[in-house]
Amino acid sequence: MRFDIAVQTLVDAGVDFVLIGGWAAILNGSARTTRDLDLCYARTPENHRRLAAALSPFRPRPREFPAELPFVWDAATLNNGTLFTLSTTLGSIDLLAEVSGLGSFEQVKASAKLVQAFDRSVWTLDLRGLIDSKRAAGRPKDLQALPELESLLETLDD
Amino acid sequence: MLAAARSPEQCYSHSMRELRALTPAQLALAEQRLLNPAPGSRIAAAKDFGIDLTLLLQQLRLDPAERAWQMLELCQQVEQLRGRALRKTR
Repeated sequence: MRFDIAVQTLVDAGVDFVLIGGWAAILNGSARTTRDLDLCYARTPENHRRLAAALSPFRPRPREFPAELPFVWDAATLNNGTLFTLSTTLGSIDLLAEVSGLGSFEQVKASAKLVQAFDRSVWTLDLRGLIDSKRAAGRPKDLQALPELESLLETLDD
Repeated sequence: MLAAARSPEQCYSHSMRELRALTPAQLALAEQRLLNPAPGSRIAAAKDFGIDLTLLLQQLRLDPAERAWQMLELCQQVEQLRGRALRKTR
């Protein structure tokens, strides 16, 4: 996995996105490892074009998608969906147009902070946003992450 | 590098929309809270849940960029081990 290259590529391409999920938790102090890169992206035609072009060299393809079936990765594909769980040559990347418990990209960005990561400035979801999204998602793996995130929030509370 | 070595303007402020390293004062407070969790607190609950609070403290001593690089390396090592284990079971 080369999520550093993924983040650098997306920032350099001017893609409007916010890091969410495991990497956002790590930047906020979590000690849990993660196997994928989760991003929330702005759903605009220009951003779709940038996102599609930026990831294209890394051969994105839906995970669990039969190898014999064709898949076209472009702005139109992005325009037709709001959730993409992709395998790429950089590792697994999940793209979400909205986040449970938070809402649209604009609402996610309102809960985000600018951070230096992988030699770039990138927006990342803050602890409160992470907790709200994990609680709303409600899957066992999300709920398991809550005690650590809540303890971090309490630790850093002014 | 520890956060204590940073100047205050390089450090994190909750009021700003920027995530930075903790200031020495914030780090001292975090240490106090994590190493001596108040009964009934979320931190105490996390400890009871099995969270290693010393690992959290270790992460908080780093700035976010350091957390990212360190965790990327760890995730890559975990993936390599997982790959080796999968190959062995096949």
